Amino acid sequence: MLVGYFVLKGDYPWPAALTWEELPSEIDKAQDWLLEQRTAENPNIFFAILDGFRAFADWLVTALLNFFEWLTWAGIIVAGTAIVWRFGGWRAGLIVLGAFVSFALMGLWEESIQTLALMTSAVLLSLAIGVPIGIYAGRNDRFLRGITPVLDAMQIVPAFAYLMPIVILFSVGPAAAVICTLIYAIPPAVRITALGVRNVTAESVEASQAFGATKTQTLFKVQLPLARRQMLLAVNQTIMFALSLVVIAGLIGGRGLGDVVTNGLYSNAALALLAGIAIVIMAIALDRATQAIADRTDPARRQLTDEGRIRARNITLATLGGIVVAVVVARVLGADAYYPDEFETSTSVYQANIQDTILGWIQSVLDYVQDPDSFVFKITEPVGNFILQNFLEPLRAVLVESPWFVTLGGLTLIAFVLSGMRPAITALLMLAVIGVMGVWDPGMDTASQVLVATAIAVVIGIAIGVWAAESPRVEKALRPLLDTLQTLPQLVYIIPFIYLMPVSRVPGVIASVLYAIPVIIRLVTVGLRSVPPAAVEAAQAFGASRMQVLAKVKIPLARESIMLGVNQGIIMVLAVVVIGGLVGSGALGDMVARGLQRNEFGEGVVASIAILALGIALDRVTQGQRATRTERSSGGPLFGLGRKRRQVQPGGGAV
Amino acid sequence: MTDPRLRGKRMWVVAMALVLALFVAACGEEKDESSGDNGSSASSGKDCGKVVLNEQAWAGSTANTYIAKAVLEDELGCQVEVTKIAEIPVFQAMADGKVDAVLEDWQHTDEYAKYIDKAGTVVQGGPLGVEGHIGWFIPKYLMDEHPEFKTWEGLKGQEDLFKTADSGDQGMFLGGDPSYVQKDKELIKALGLNFKHVTAGAEPAQVARWTQLYKQEEPVIFYWYTPQYLNQEYDLAEVKLPPRKEGTDCQDDAKAGGDPQQYKCEYDVTIINKLFSKKFADSGSPAYDVLKKMKLTNEDQELVAKAIAGDKEDPEEAGADWVKDNQDKVQEWLQ
Repeated sequence: MLVGYFVLKGDYPWPAALTWEELPSEIDKAQDWLLEQRTAENPNIFFAILDGFRAFADWLVTALLNFFEWLTWAGIIVAGTAIVWRFGGWRAGLIVLGAFVSFALMGLWEESIQTLALMTSAVLLSLAIGVPIGIYAGRNDRFLRGITPVLDAMQIVPAFAYLMPIVILFSVGPAAAVICTLIYAIPPAVRITALGVRNVTAESVEASQAFGATKTQTLFKVQLPLARRQMLLAVNQTIMFALSLVVIAGLIGGRGLGDVVTNGLYSNAALALLAGIAIVIMAIALDRATQAIADRTDPARRQLTDEGRIRARNITLATLGGIVVAVVVARVLGADAYYPDEFETSTSVYQANIQDTILGWIQSVLDYVQDPDSFVFKITEPVGNFILQNFLEPLRAVLVESPWFVTLGGLTLIAFVLSGMRPAITALLMLAVIGVMGVWDPGMDTASQVLVATAIAVVIGIAIGVWAAESPRVEKALRPLLDTLQTLPQLVYIIPFIYLMPVSRVPGVIASVLYAIPVIIRLVTVGLRSVPPAAVEAAQAFGASRMQVLAKVKIPLARESIMLGVNQGIIMVLAVVVIGGLVGSGALGDMVARGLQRNEFGEGVVASIAILALGIALDRVTQGQRATRTERSSGGPLFGLGRKRRQVQPGGGAV
Repeated sequence: MTDPRLRGKRMWVVAMALVLALFVAACGEEKDESSGDNGSSASSGKDCGKVVLNEQAWAGSTANTYIAKAVLEDELGCQVEVTKIAEIPVFQAMADGKVDAVLEDWQHTDEYAKYIDKAGTVVQGGPLGVEGHIGWFIPKYLMDEHPEFKTWEGLKGQEDLFKTADSGDQGMFLGGDPSYVQKDKELIKALGLNFKHVTAGAEPAQVARWTQLYKQEEPVIFYWYTPQYLNQEYDLAEVKLPPRKEGTDCQDDAKAGGDPQQYKCEYDVTIINKLFSKKFADSGSPAYDVLKKMKLTNEDQELVAKAIAGDKEDPEEAGADWVKDNQDKVQEWLQ
């Protein structure tokens, strides 16, 4: 490949004869057609159904918001805290209370409640749709294989690409925002549910069948109860994924915190960051609350006597009663729907929040970041330039400027050597799709950035993952940080990086690295933790040092999980390519961003398909021999389910 | 004795019924409130009702939206709701009657063809009076050092000055937000300048890049425009591009593609339009007449935008302050 690059540099761009040039304009025409159909006098049945769904989603969000408003701000604090305290314990209750108090103190109460109503509706609908599909997929391998590529597409294709069709079909407002969120949040619900149902051991299923249970009985009495924990993880991840779409939802009338982020970016960066922090707090509070409730209500953990049950019920009734009293008192005392900006007493007016103070702190941090004479800048600027000149630029040059057949052949060969014949063919086809759609150059440019970002993320992620696996304290300390990286809107934290590393493409790489790291760290940690203690003890018995155990036993045994981490890293990196487009990475991300904003719809769709094709190609290249070797691995929580087959142990089923 | 589990279930039914009752109560309450609002606006004489204005992400749009809000609320007793929907989706929002007016539209001609000319669901509201001007800008200190940069010819042979880590051997031209109308790549080619066009990304990212170089007092040349509140904070100067000739067909939007030569001229002045939903225009709302007459100058808009984005004033207050200080203009809209 390198030879081809040096000898034939720049001579053979992707040939025009192999390009379908009309594709973007054809897609534009399809969108225009959709618009005409939508505005037609007599909508056909298809649009009538969509309208029905829209009306339902609009109603759900609005009713929820009205309900929250009716509770009043004081009532909602009491209700939220008390319910979580009752079912999830005092620790989770305190977290929820803390979240409400921080929304109030940050002066973002109204926006937070709007977002809460929107996200609650989106999560409920995601689960209502995703869990049944996941259950079916868990029981039917062929169906699961069939929908896996669809799920991949739903997560990799950037929301910007389908925002406009959604608006044409569902107009703007809560419904459109909910649907947009559904597309991103349903896949984890389906995947994790399916994984949970599949992981129920064959013995349990066979045992129940041996007792003459019907399929339905097996499902509801055996498979679902045993998959409980995984299904609760599905709820968790659905919340996280939904919350990461708040900003995009804001662009099409979702209101709430997303609006504050978008406008803040243009005129008040500190405010945008503050709203981002509110989103993170909401995500963490919802996550911890659902998790605590799941743990505490796990039937396997609480064996209640009749007496205990009655007591628990009385506490629940008392809690409910307390909430009703609190709401009534709040309403009688005239509490507003939203937490007020100011408190008035007979003599004076008090500021009810400390937004200005917090904004002042954030601003001083931003001012430091923006100061080109600062100490940090003296370090970060050379680092940024170094990444650009030594990694990004050379790799881009090789991929883009080599003759197209050399690049294509080279990547296919790498896939063949690393992963085998079938993955190599898939990779070849996907790369060819990129070429035929006429986006070979930007495609390869993006590929170079994705590879560099993944490499950096993998190096850092594995190092931190190993550290976290060795030290529970580190893992615990990391958790809120990882949650933050997953839910804080990327644009919010990436703007400061533009000041710190002012070279195009580098901030985009940083955004990808920061978004991909949490998944890698989590998978590496899980992998190392699940190394059998017997293997570790044996090595220690032979006098191996801690480092030796790590390097010779743990890491080799956790290899699969680590490889899955690499693989997932690539997918996460691709998911934020469009963010790169917004901060100067150019290439495909830029095309997608422009697609929405300048209505170059066709171009945007083509670029999105290219990102997806690139994702599949790189996935196959890096898949390694895992596909054939991981029949028994537990797999990652998010992706890669489709490549596993149900494990049926021969001779099982002893009752 | 009933099974305690069953009793547990019964309790859940009670609890759910309670929640449902609260819910219904909440919805009923809502209706009462809205009818109360109608009553209060009717008391102001005219029936204005609710008006939905859409604010775009940038500060200038915030400024004119909140000026309009102050006028409609204080003078007409309307109830104004501000939405923040992105530029292109908002056309569909107007078509569906979910947004009544957009006060600052930068000539989205493709959408005009679809929604105004063809479907007729959106109507032109005439120019806002603010005129957009796009061009190549450099810091004032650089212009003082190099007076020859007043026109593009002065840049020739001096492109090296603008070299950065991004641009290799060439000078760096910092391109505009990819979503904005632009033709700088083609212009650079047509003018034969040795610049590399570097896209910094969306406007906040581009601003981050050039303000940093500005603070370092490094040379920088970039795509920029007026009215923009940052022009009040940073001292910028414009590089003159080849003038537009009468009668020749010179393009501004490289989206059309084709020969770079057809872009070889300065950007035309952008007339910023007000747009209305057809439903709103036909509703007979007094707010429509006022918004249709509303006019602002670039100075008006930059002043209020600076107060909001620069001085971090509350948009509501900044808009109301301007209305108070400019009663002569406001009274004209109200006639």
